[in-house]
Amino acid sequence: MAIIRPSFANRGASYTPYGVQLRSARPDQSSQTNALHYLSDGNVTFRFSWRKNEYLVPVTLILKALIETSDKEIFDGIVGSDTENSFLTDRLELLLRTFKKYNLNTNKQSVAYLGKKFRVVFGATPDMSDIDVGKEVLHRIVLVHLDDNHDKFRMLCFMIRKLYSLVAGECSPDNPDSTQHQEILLGGFLYGMILKEKIDEYLQSIKLQIQSDITRGIAVNFNDRKYMTRVFSRINENIGQKLQYFLSTGNLVSQSGLDLQQVSGYTVVAEKINFHRFISHFRMVHRGSFFAELKTTTVRKLLPESWGFLCPVHTPDGSPCGLLNHLSHKCEITTEKVDTSRIPTALFKLGVKPPASAISAAGPGTCCVQLDGQIVGYCSHEQGRIIANTLRYWKVEDEKKYGIPLSLEIGYVPPTNHGQYPGLYLFGGHSRLTRPVRYLPLDKTDIVGPFEQVFMDIAVVPAEIENNVHSHVEFAPTNILSILANLTPFSDFNQSPRNMYQCQMGKQTMGTPGVALTHRSDNKLYKLQAGQTPIVKANLYDDYGMDNFPNGTNAVVAVISYTGYDMDDAMIINKSADERGFAYGVVYKVEKVDLSQQRRRNDPITQHFGFGPDDSPAEWRNKLDEDGLPYIGVHVEEGDPICCYYDEVLGKTKIKTYHSSEPAYIEEVKLISDDNGNQECQSITIKYRVTRSPLIGDKFSSRHGQKGVCSRKWPQIDMPFSETGIQPDVIINPHAFPSRMTIGMFVESLAGKAGALHGIAQDATPWKFSEDDIPADFFGEQLKAAGYNYHGNEPLYSGATGEELRADIYIGVVYYQRLRHMVNDKFQVRSTGPVNSLTMQPVKGRKRHGGIRVGEMERDALIGHGTSFLLQDRLLNCSDYTHTSICRDCGGLLTTQVSVARIGGGESMRCRRCSVRVEGRGHRSDMVEDGDVWEDGAGKRFIGGGNTTTVAVPFVLKYLDSELAAMGISMRYNVEPK
Amino acid sequence: MSREGFVPPTAANLGNAASGIQSIKNYGVKYVCAQCAVNFTLSPKEPVRCKECGHRVLYKARTKRMVQFEAR
Repeated sequence: MAIIRPSFANRGASYTPYGVQLRSARPDQSSQTNALHYLSDGNVTFRFSWRKNEYLVPVTLILKALIETSDKEIFDGIVGSDTENSFLTDRLELLLRTFKKYNLNTNKQSVAYLGKKFRVVFGATPDMSDIDVGKEVLHRIVLVHLDDNHDKFRMLCFMIRKLYSLVAGECSPDNPDSTQHQEILLGGFLYGMILKEKIDEYLQSIKLQIQSDITRGIAVNFNDRKYMTRVFSRINENIGQKLQYFLSTGNLVSQSGLDLQQVSGYTVVAEKINFHRFISHFRMVHRGSFFAELKTTTVRKLLPESWGFLCPVHTPDGSPCGLLNHLSHKCEITTEKVDTSRIPTALFKLGVKPPASAISAAGPGTCCVQLDGQIVGYCSHEQGRIIANTLRYWKVEDEKKYGIPLSLEIGYVPPTNHGQYPGLYLFGGHSRLTRPVRYLPLDKTDIVGPFEQVFMDIAVVPAEIENNVHSHVEFAPTNILSILANLTPFSDFNQSPRNMYQCQMGKQTMGTPGVALTHRSDNKLYKLQAGQTPIVKANLYDDYGMDNFPNGTNAVVAVISYTGYDMDDAMIINKSADERGFAYGVVYKVEKVDLSQQRRRNDPITQHFGFGPDDSPAEWRNKLDEDGLPYIGVHVEEGDPICCYYDEVLGKTKIKTYHSSEPAYIEEVKLISDDNGNQECQSITIKYRVTRSPLIGDKFSSRHGQKGVCSRKWPQIDMPFSETGIQPDVIINPHAFPSRMTIGMFVESLAGKAGALHGIAQDATPWKFSEDDIPADFFGEQLKAAGYNYHGNEPLYSGATGEELRADIYIGVVYYQRLRHMVNDKFQVRSTGPVNSLTMQPVKGRKRHGGIRVGEMERDALIGHGTSFLLQDRLLNCSDYTHTSICRDCGGLLTTQVSVARIGGGESMRCRRCSVRVEGRGHRSDMVEDGDVWEDGAGKRFIGGGNTTTVAVPFVLKYLDSELAAMGISMRYNVEPK
Repeated sequence: MSREGFVPPTAANLGNAASGIQSIKNYGVKYVCAQCAVNFTLSPKEPVRCKECGHRVLYKARTKRMVQFEAR
């Protein structure tokens, strides 16, 4: 890949932004990136990284080390027949001349030189010769996807020529952000790479252990059983544990970095909130966390190259936008390498000259034919085009007959004016994105990839096909969309961001998380009790079997401003619809009780589930069965016992209580055995069923990014009704539409109404209608046939007065989703409650029953409004208002203390600092009145310090004072009036 | 499956039913194997194991006792 990147120039003096990069993958998909850098004097260096360090080597050294070659051969391999190109020849001359100073002429010398330099880096043993080390370097670093050094040599020459072309401006740089040049990192290959490295590490650690034994003078004997067990016992052989760590954290701990750009974030938890969410996880592609911090947004850009591979709609908005993509629904990733063994023969038959016989062929003037990064040969550009077309015909016609696999990617890049570097590039490897399209000459399915797609002519719809232009046609225009984006009905009528919102909201719907819910023990599971199949659905809904996982309910929706409770995206729900079970849901929560957690391993069991012989409160028996576990189906509230156990040590029956403000029912109790299965019950899981009927404040949405909060459950008698007696389940405000332009929702409403009247499921696949065939007419006719208004409007009568409303109301059937954001999980109230013991201010956090902070900005607003009493109420009275005593004389807040009450006088507030100590009883005591003396708790006697008073301060002031006192700063307050 | 849990109201216990007193009879707690769904009882301190297939996860069977909630 040709790249112009300014950061390349930072590698050192005379480095330029020009480079050519090649990510070379070994058969096990572990990769090594090789790059060539152009220096301003025309030289080229070869860059690679090894164990997270970068190394730069003159490319001529690599070329000479690969095969026994001459300067002429290198010259010919790069320049080819373009000897007139003085730009090229000048630079090549320089390239070869500057290498003369190394004084390495033969292949052997070069390899030995390379080996000498990399001996330490590769940790080569002394018994390896420099030549062996050099060969190892070439084998492990240089173009690792190729086995043969001649192939590597040719490929390197090709790269150098491409680099010079890039510098000369003959070809354009390749875009690394385009799907054209991208592959997917698949989990399995990543696990393989990690395992490979961990096994390597394991072997290395054995070597190190034995080496240290040798240096320490311990007798090393490989035949000694005892010695070998000692060696193995000192090495961590638990590779599985390391892989488990990777899978659970997503953190990559690696010496080499595996040629990857990030070290963490490789795993995500496949959440089972509903099926949309679940299936989306398996179609998700992330560009890499490195790009998330990048300031430039070019990587996030939606490029036309990704048509049919990445969904343009299904990406979140906000920070991961454009980085977290979803595959289009027909897109597949190749997981196996196809058999390409017969392709070179076929190519030679078609007129490709093998590189050995095409010595003077190089550069953009000829068509270089490459198969999976191996140069097969050269031909003319015209020939290349014919070969590409022939190969395509052959592979689609019969992949067996010609030995051309169907999923082979045939990327023919034609010669262009300063465009992409031309050639014929064939790919049959792993991890490529592929998708099916119809091949017109044979009317059969062809598999295309993102590289070739850019240079192909694929018609989106059959009507678009032009003779001698298009070779392919899409099976359906909806192939561009992901599964979720496809499920949005009439998404072609919506403003595009609304479809993005629906893709997000579909994933947070309270739907059906799975089919085997009774066997699942997720911590939290949302379920819609009576989900329905939508009346209006896209054709893919059935293809993907979404009816097994219903995600919402059909609702009669009236678009009307009726009560004033439907302002600002609020919606009114018909109270009777709610009582009939509209959008009723439950949350399953699972709690684990493990008695063995409290005792150490191998200790005897002292806690047994069940009631002990002691007396326990009788009301426990209301909830708990004989075995100490709750009855299935029993209703529990906060503080109720959920299980009891008898503690032998204490001789008492103890209970565990239910800790949640929400009442629940016991759905299931599971008794779980230990590993051996020979112990009595020590751990159980309890599944609670928390009922969640729709409440005011719960969130709902249609499938068009139109979310709203339930603001009222309106009695059915007061709901408007139509002439046929239909009353809406849901009322939404008309203001939700003009700015959002979700026309698809209107169409769905219309289609839903017609579908309900005729008892048919309507097809809502996008791009089925056109300007001449509009859905309003199609569904209007259906409505008319059912005796309804053609446009979907109906006269409605006020539920309160029975009068006809002055405008006809748009009423129809829309599929509504209940989102999982519910008030019960979010509401936060506090009047008084827990406070922070240090500052005496209210704590924060909903879980702790805390308050909501009145911050600086809120303070500013209150000041701006001049509401000083409100401000004082918020900041002082409702926070850490305290009474404290203060000394009027010294102004000390901390020096006051309570004197001990004595006979004839109560206790009083005294300032310790302003009082004088009275020593002994007889001495000086004649000078003071006995009544003036006060005593502290320790029996010390003082006189004076009585000029104290009580003030109201925030408690933190006392805290601040004492903190400052610790610093040696005393605070003094002037108290007025004196 | 036996239905011993439900006691139909007879002349003898009709009075109980009317006054809301439940005649709880203890038949031992039943468990259901999570794998083979067999019903059996388990005495305390017995290992958690299915009597039929030896599976080590058991469900508690739903109570035969009358469960009544206020329907409001």
